[in-house]
Amino acid sequence: MATRQRQQPKTWSLLGDVRRRPSAYEAVTAKFHYHFRREPTPFEHPGMPLNDWYLRNREGSPFQVDDWEDFRDPYKLTYKDYVALQHDRETYVDKLIDRHEESASVEGLSDEWVSTLRELYIPLRFPLHILQMVGLYVGQMAPSAYITNCANFQAADELRRIQRIAYSTKMLANAHGDELAATATARSAWEKDPVWQPLRETLENLLIAYDWGEAFVALNLVVKPSLDAVVNWRLSELAERNGDHFLAALLAEFQQDSNRSRKWSADLAQYALGRQPDLRQVMEGWTAAWTPRIEAAVKALAQPFDEAPVGLAATDVVSATGTQARDHLQACGL
Amino acid sequence: MPRLARSEWYDLTRDMNWTLSYVSDEDVWPQDLSNSYGIPTEKWWGWDEPYKITYPEYVHNQVGKDASVYSINAVLSRSRIFEELDPGWKSAILAHYGAIAVPEYLAGIGEARMGRFGRAAAWRNMATYGTLDETRHGQIQTYFPYGLLAKEPRADWAHKTMHTNEWGAIAARSLFDDMFTANDAVSTAIQLTFTFETGFTNLQFLGMAADAMKVGDVDFGALISSIQTDEARHSQQGEPTVKILIANGQGEVAQKLVDHMFWRSWHVFALLTGLSMDYYTPLEHRTHSFKEFMEELIVKQFMDQFRDFGLEVPWYWKEHFLPELDWYHHALHLGVWFWRPTVWWNPDAGVSPAEREWLEEKYPGWNDSFGQYWDVITANVRDGHPELTLPETFPTICNMCQIPLVNPAGFNAGRLAHPEPLIVDRDGRRLLFCSEPCKWVYEQNPARFAGQLSLVDRFLAGHIQPPTMEGALAYMSLSLAEMGQDATNYAWAFEKQLAVPGT
Ligand SMILES: [Fe+2]
Ligand SMILES: [Fe+2]
Ligand SMILES: [Zn+2]
Repeated sequence: MATRQRQQPKTWSLLGDVRRRPSAYEAVTAKFHYHFRREPTPFEHPGMPLNDWYLRNREGSPFQVDDWEDFRDPYKLTYKDYVALQHDRETYVDKLIDRHEESASVEGLSDEWVSTLRELYIPLRFPLHILQMVGLYVGQMAPSAYITNCANFQAADELRRIQRIAYSTKMLANAHGDELAATATARSAWEKDPVWQPLRETLENLLIAYDWGEAFVALNLVVKPSLDAVVNWRLSELAERNGDHFLAALLAEFQQDSNRSRKWSADLAQYALGRQPDLRQVMEGWTAAWTPRIEAAVKALAQPFDEAPVGLAATDVVSATGTQARDHLQACGL
Repeated sequence: MPRLARSEWYDLTRDMNWTLSYVSDEDVWPQDLSNSYGIPTEKWWGWDEPYKITYPEYVHNQVGKDASVYSINAVLSRSRIFEELDPGWKSAILAHYGAIAVPEYLAGIGEARMGRFGRAAAWRNMATYGTLDETRHGQIQTYFPYGLLAKEPRADWAHKTMHTNEWGAIAARSLFDDMFTANDAVSTAIQLTFTFETGFTNLQFLGMAADAMKVGDVDFGALISSIQTDEARHSQQGEPTVKILIANGQGEVAQKLVDHMFWRSWHVFALLTGLSMDYYTPLEHRTHSFKEFMEELIVKQFMDQFRDFGLEVPWYWKEHFLPELDWYHHALHLGVWFWRPTVWWNPDAGVSPAEREWLEEKYPGWNDSFGQYWDVITANVRDGHPELTLPETFPTICNMCQIPLVNPAGFNAGRLAHPEPLIVDRDGRRLLFCSEPCKWVYEQNPARFAGQLSLVDRFLAGHIQPPTMEGALAYMSLSLAEMGQDATNYAWAFEKQLAVPGT
């Protein structure tokens, strides 16, 4: 009797006739955005106003390649892996806080250093919240779930950083005065202090960079890498110099998230350039438009570094950040 | 663990509301993405979520939840549990995966939209967790059926449904695009979280989980009850949004948004959950009837919720909604079973003598109304003519809910005054509606809905070629192997001599 070979599907039919069985990461990520380039309109009812929004800012963006579905997150993160990773990192941060609460190290900080933190550290939750917002914008506009997921996890990482900044702000306030934890302290600096205004101008404009390609390039290739370098790297260094080992370690920890963002962003930029070399002009147009804005912002933020009890030269902060920014663009193939 | 209680520092995680200087409010929160309904920017800043959580708590909790659900799956996927499940139950979970898995992921777009265009930092934070949650739900509910592909090729629909024009897929896409994928942030909070997630996900996720555990489908039961714990959290974005609308004189707007989406959700979930609970779940494992679940998880809960917030029950509550609880899903079940080649699961007739007895007990009068149809079908099957129980023509379809019209069955069951659909001639087009509320939803917002063609409209407009049943099935992406068949190969028809008229 002839044995009948039962045909078993290797994978989702939408993935076509694949030679290699897709990984679990791919099986739960590939081709989820049924609405991208859907005809006649992305969404079922053509009269829905968001069709125009997506057709203009996503399908109509100059940032196009034939197919985005071959892009892969270099970390291949699924939700399950993401929360497992961050559960570990947050456990580390919990312990870091435990150690410093035990030693009451925050109480030993000098008034001068606390006043630097008041100016430079405490208002940070406002600009970082905008990075969270724009990250979610990139996530909801991206043409492939492979990109959406990276952007959404990145936004969650901003939330993570903000919350630990909030916690440490309360620690500072408990030791050095309640007013440090008042909303007005952070908000008025953010709204009025000249140190923050170039950054605020940059980020408020970033909020309305609605073309999805521009939003991605401006956020992940230009603005965030520079701001992250100032916050996680230079400010960590400044804290270390001023004997604030807790903040130094906390901020350095966030560099892990930033590195992940830089890596997938560089891979996506390279992917786009590899698929469509003409995109170089488009992307360089955007980086050229956004670089001077973030440079002005970093320059203003660098001033208080100079004035800290043990200072870091403002010019060094600016040049070190600029070097990192250029390195990142180079990694992006730009 | 860090010493400060959450309440001591929580406000510092969510007070990032500020006055824009360099760009305008209208540009940062465009109406199409975030309808303010005229409420000034700063009035939104008092948005206060009832369920509070921090990022460390979130990841510490979620890692355990995910690990336990995935490890159950890892064990069970090596067992023969799936093969041994009742065929009707398999249909219920295949219908679920097709209608729910990818849309849950897409609900993440709605969450991300609230995370960007929500009008308070506290709200945007909650929506950020919501975005993560829906990523989880999309992934976990495709991962499980992915593992079933070798055993059950129809599991492919967990992934592809939303890419197709299968009629149920069109109905689901129409609903979900309206509710979140293509909705503005403020309306999403009312319609997705307040209206849909506090009610209908309970029905599908808690109700079906109860049945799953009795059926012995621990895999599915663990999966969906774990999902519901996330829904219970992120659904609470609705309440503070409703409160702000009401406090600022926009209660009527909130009411309309609720009335609109409650009705739409009801129709799609009567189709999905109604059939699963009352016909596909094996009789001995049914915990409650669909109507009982509806009364417990929807009617009661919504009545409470409306009362708490000073909203009213929807205008159609007594006249249209409550009466439909007795007949609508029974009529849909007849239609789905009859047009079974047009769905991606195997409809289980679920009308063996014992099941009919249960239906009569739960829905007094069922035998006289719906039983009559099944008598004829049973006779045809028993006479060796199952082909007489298959469709040759198309039903008509409601231009709002996109679900085939079953009004004649409702009329014959004595539940509707007329068997005909509601007809509206508008801008040179004839529109058909299954019900007053569907017509009302459409007419509240004709610009939003007008351009869409129902599956039947497409057929009549020549978009479906060849214009035959075969052409339509191909248009719906249903291969011969995927088209639904009777789940038990008509075993129910032969279970015991029935008093069939004419035999
Ligand atoms: Fe969900
Ligand atoms: Fe949800
Ligand atoms: Zn309808």
